[in-house]
Amino acid sequence: GSWCPAPLCRGRALQRIPPGAACAVGRPPRWASSFSQSGPTASDPSEGQVFLSESCVKRLLEITEGSEFLRLQVEGGGCSGFQYKFSLDTVINPDDRQGQRGGARVVVDVDSLAFVKGSMVDFSQELIRSSFQVVSNPQVEKGCSCGTSFSVKF
Amino acid sequence: GVCFSDLVGVTFFRLHERPEEEPHILLECDSGVLDAIQKHLKLYKIRRKVNIAPCLDLSLWAVVPGERAGDITSSFAKCADQAVILTPDPRTEVMGWRLITKKGANLSEIIPGSHIGNIQDYHRHRYKQGIPEGVKDLPPGVALPLESNLAYMNGISFTKGCYIGQELTARTHHVGVIRKRLLPVHFSAPLPEDGIPEGAEILTESGKSAGKFRAGGGEVGIALLRLANINEPLCLNIAGNKVKLTARIPEWWPKPTSK
Repeated sequence: GSWCPAPLCRGRALQRIPPGAACAVGRPPRWASSFSQSGPTASDPSEGQVFLSESCVKRLLEITEGSEFLRLQVEGGGCSGFQYKFSLDTVINPDDRQGQRGGARVVVDVDSLAFVKGSMVDFSQELIRSSFQVVSNPQVEKGCSCGTSFSVKF
Repeated sequence: GVCFSDLVGVTFFRLHERPEEEPHILLECDSGVLDAIQKHLKLYKIRRKVNIAPCLDLSLWAVVPGERAGDITSSFAKCADQAVILTPDPRTEVMGWRLITKKGANLSEIIPGSHIGNIQDYHRHRYKQGIPEGVKDLPPGVALPLESNLAYMNGISFTKGCYIGQELTARTHHVGVIRKRLLPVHFSAPLPEDGIPEGAEILTESGKSAGKFRAGGGEVGIALLRLANINEPLCLNIAGNKVKLTARIPEWWPKPTSK
């Protein structure tokens, strides 16, 4: 195959995997947690789920090709202590949890999921920018005005 | 010096010499918060591939020049490779150098002509200069970075972007007025036997509040004082006894530029 950087993935060149072979080398993905818009279907619901808005699904169907999905991660940093990071990815790891709605896929690793469970991922289009955002995160104590950084209630 | 949102006054030393090398950083902190700092770092680490561990095999030293030291930096160069780190104290020149060695290292080989002093003398030196260090001087959640003079001690970056408290710190530094600061104070005898409690109210002669005592030893210490009151005679009331003290501006503070 050929090396092709995914547009939102910083500094990481990803190999395009032909459709049908969506999962990376190694073990098969854990489909144990399946996010869905209506009602929990996860076999391990304590890990949590993330919901996808209609605009998020629509945008992902527009921009993803082949086996690409939206990856949501939480990192330390930002003005409130933690920050969300979105990227396009094609590699699923054993500690990833994934869900889909309307054919759009979002993947969150289990550590990040602890910070975002119960949230919704939205694609918001505003004058200042259009971007994927995490909205209504029940664990957030306060967020910054640009929506990237947050602190959690403990 | 560096501050985390709650903890003020932790110092970083970079071990790796070039940016291409894997970063290897030593962090100096009050032994009382060793666990808290590790927990704090791990909380924000999440998935980053960073190892965080206490260095129980290392010793930390302050190298403070005596009165007749002259220029000793030339002798450092020859012995520096025996030290893990030997670097000027990043806070201010008056604190000399920071030395990190393997435990049990022979100091007189690393710093010829040096002798190991009393830790109480180190603290006295700090308090005389008004240099806070550790959780006693900088209580977590109480000590504020700018009032603690972190900006004078290279403890705050105003160019690094977002961190917790960045907006308030940057705004106050650039636009706001800092009315109180930690300053060295000197007590006149006699001193109360049990020392002076943290938070003890300091008053002007007319009984107005001028600030609060923070920490010290013997006749020296540091106090958070209103800058408007520091040239007046001040006092404390301890168990009914009045204790007089004076404050001064440390020489190592930046001099105000005349406008």
